[in-house]
Amino acid sequence: MKAVLSSLTCHIALIVLAWHPSAAAAQEKAATQGDAPGFAYAAPAFIKELDTRFPAQPPMPPSPPRYGGVLHFPATVRAFDPTAGYRPELALVWDTLTEWEATWYFPEVQRTPVIRKTLATSWEMVTPSTWIFKLRQGVKFHNRPPVNGREMTAEDVKYSYELLKDKAQYSTRAALVKAIQVVDKYTVKFELSMPDPKFYLNVVDSLSPVIVPREAVEAPGGLAENPIGTGAFMLKEFAPGEGALLVRNPSYYLKDHDGRQLPYVDAVRLFFTKDPATDTALFRARQLDVMRVSTLDVLYALMKTVPDMQLYRVPSFGWGDYGVSMALDKTPYNDVRVRQALSMAINREVVAEVINRGDAALYGPFPWALAGYTKRADYTYANLGPNYEYSAKKAKELLAAAGYPNGFDMELEWAEFQGWTFNEFVQLVARFFGDVGVRVKLKQLETSTWIAKAAGVQPFPHTLAAFSPIGAGPSFMDWVYLRYHSSFPRTINREGISDPKLDDLLTTWRLDPGEKRPALQRAIWDHLRKNVYRITTIVPPHYRIAQAYVHAGANPYCWFPGYCSYEAKTAWMTEKAPSRKFEKFAQ
Amino acid sequence: MRTYVVRRALNGLLVLWLVSIVIFSLVRILPGDAVIMQLDQAAAPTPEILSRARQELGLERPFLAQYRTWITGAVHGDLGRSLITRRPVTNELLKRINLTSHLAVMSIIVALLIALPIGVLSAVKQDTASDYVARFFAVLGLSLPDFWLATVVITFLAIWVQWIPPIGFAPLWEDPARCLGQLLIPALIIGARLAAVSMRMTRSSLLEVLHQDYIRTARAKGARERAVIVRHALKNAFIPVVTVIGQQFSVLLGGTVIVEFIFLQPGVGSLMLDAVLLRDYTLIQGAVLFFATVIVVTNLLVDLSYAWLDPRIRYR
Repeated sequence: MKAVLSSLTCHIALIVLAWHPSAAAAQEKAATQGDAPGFAYAAPAFIKELDTRFPAQPPMPPSPPRYGGVLHFPATVRAFDPTAGYRPELALVWDTLTEWEATWYFPEVQRTPVIRKTLATSWEMVTPSTWIFKLRQGVKFHNRPPVNGREMTAEDVKYSYELLKDKAQYSTRAALVKAIQVVDKYTVKFELSMPDPKFYLNVVDSLSPVIVPREAVEAPGGLAENPIGTGAFMLKEFAPGEGALLVRNPSYYLKDHDGRQLPYVDAVRLFFTKDPATDTALFRARQLDVMRVSTLDVLYALMKTVPDMQLYRVPSFGWGDYGVSMALDKTPYNDVRVRQALSMAINREVVAEVINRGDAALYGPFPWALAGYTKRADYTYANLGPNYEYSAKKAKELLAAAGYPNGFDMELEWAEFQGWTFNEFVQLVARFFGDVGVRVKLKQLETSTWIAKAAGVQPFPHTLAAFSPIGAGPSFMDWVYLRYHSSFPRTINREGISDPKLDDLLTTWRLDPGEKRPALQRAIWDHLRKNVYRITTIVPPHYRIAQAYVHAGANPYCWFPGYCSYEAKTAWMTEKAPSRKFEKFAQ
Repeated sequence: MRTYVVRRALNGLLVLWLVSIVIFSLVRILPGDAVIMQLDQAAAPTPEILSRARQELGLERPFLAQYRTWITGAVHGDLGRSLITRRPVTNELLKRINLTSHLAVMSIIVALLIALPIGVLSAVKQDTASDYVARFFAVLGLSLPDFWLATVVITFLAIWVQWIPPIGFAPLWEDPARCLGQLLIPALIIGARLAAVSMRMTRSSLLEVLHQDYIRTARAKGARERAVIVRHALKNAFIPVVTVIGQQFSVLLGGTVIVEFIFLQPGVGSLMLDAVLLRDYTLIQGAVLFFATVIVVTNLLVDLSYAWLDPRIRYR
């Protein structure tokens, strides 16, 4: 329903824009003046203008930052309680040992992500299975009962990891931790269940356990009633279904590069929006300051009516791709020639055109940057190889060689899912597969069933249209090792990929201290693009927009509703920002 | 009368018990569960961890044991805790019902303010230009889906006025201006559609009554037309209108999902939809049981109001 609403919203917005006098004037103007500020909505021309007017690297904000203001973000939080489930917005209240700097994401620096030292200030690998982390001294929990602003210590880290490590939301990262010991008040030692020379990447960002105080967890109502952390903001009001109000933590321990106290803004107000029409209307009415736009169409519509907005348009690291998973344990998908043929049968240019009017990048077995391709210009067919280039003729030849000269019957399951347009995607795929003789029966699933299949909890009989299993940050462990190694169950390795050579490569990678890792990652990339265990196609870029009066470092996670709020820690607002109160949420 | 009420109340209890069994069974037939639906896309738990999470939520206990625990609590007014927020279902429901009942009452008022005068006018001036215009707008109101109307309204408001209804509910008795500012436009959108239904019902019902013998008698006695309509016809004509309004009120209390979504008014509709999408069993069960109770009671009250509207009606 959300996808239908989204589509309707988009069409309605375009109709409205067509009627809007200034929009019509702008179109007329753009038609006569190539460098006019307005855009003529021919997608290629619009994309070209975006490339030149909004380069990936956002402009440096003027200095010094201004204190004050209330930032408004869209978000999706059902419980302000990290023990009940993970949400990126929780990072405003609860800290992890480290987190990503907001700038690491841009392609040229993707290989050297910058870690912000939050609760941990240094770490040391004793052996690949034993790590020691030094904690920041003088970090205080929020000054609220029952914790009353006491200092955060190593005991809290131990308690939090033991509390959260077996929770479904945190298990990706924390399950690796076999035991944790308190060495002294500010030092903890992690014993891992398997060696990992890059374990420090596993404690970054809020998909890793956040540090919570025992008193708040054990108090009546738990963290939901006592939302106390060490974060930059303190939860003042949580209105389920409506939003939340968070105010600045005056005792926050982080400072900016010039030694100024963070955060700059007085408060953050989150709106739990559920419909794209609401988001765009709120942004137009200057009720939202930063948000993510899902398609080029909506971006165009917004640019017409909010011409001074800022756009950070960056290639996706890997989140939000369109792909097809296959039941690799069944014929004919256990034949590499069939998988290669199916991949070749898809014209990715057409997919990009239909999904996002051509504004999308090719996508391979895992994020480009993890294979060493760090520039946008690297995202090419040449670097992906022949299995990703459209060739119906070669596809038919491969199918014939595999014993399917007349094709075969396939069931392709899919569902509506917020943020993706799988409906159009599966119809295209069915058409392309049909062209090489594969007769596709599309089967729409109820979204929950589809989620269960995409999460590997339920099997799919033939194929499943879905995004690739993802990682929370740029960690190769998250994106590749866990997702492709045969030792992991289907809930992690969705397709049940079992390839001894791949396992060897992955194990060698995991045990390598670091020098050979780039070469190993490229070798794994080459192996995967040849074997096509999962058909990947394209990934649209991330459009993250902000009002002209907001300066915020573009955040890697601003690719899905809620993730932008992460930026509030370092964002600031100019004097042109609307004056807003923050005594209570409904103001 | 008393016997009738007692009999209806007992029937209602039976209905509620059956509803509890049906909803408790149905939600468990749905694929997926609260643990799966809460997983982030980047999460990668093992089956053992998922199983442990289900155990923590009590989802792996035998079906009958789960039902017994829930229904015993429900009888004592405890509908359990949400599987997602971990908060008491009763609290979650009461907060949303507050907003939804505000919206429902305002929508009904809007609907009645539009429907009654136009419906009466349309019936009294049957087959005249004003009747045709009224009927045209009634059909238009029925034809326009409220999600379309709501999307258009919020988009136009944002573009032309750079304003949209404020977010963050304040009850009427706490902040009347904010409450009206927040709910008036959604109420107008919902009310417009309801008005179309009620107006058509008012018109057809009044037309039927106006052709009754007692109306002809009243006119023959020399009563003024205004008195005939207001004193003799309207009250009787309202019986089907009240029925429709009662049903619509019950439906509105169940939530107006799309309008709630678009205007970010977190009423019961969006609560229920979220609960279904996230497989929050206890919340779905509690909400359905609550609304089944509301509908049973509303229907009873509507039936009882017939006697007040038409003294010829007797209960046995």
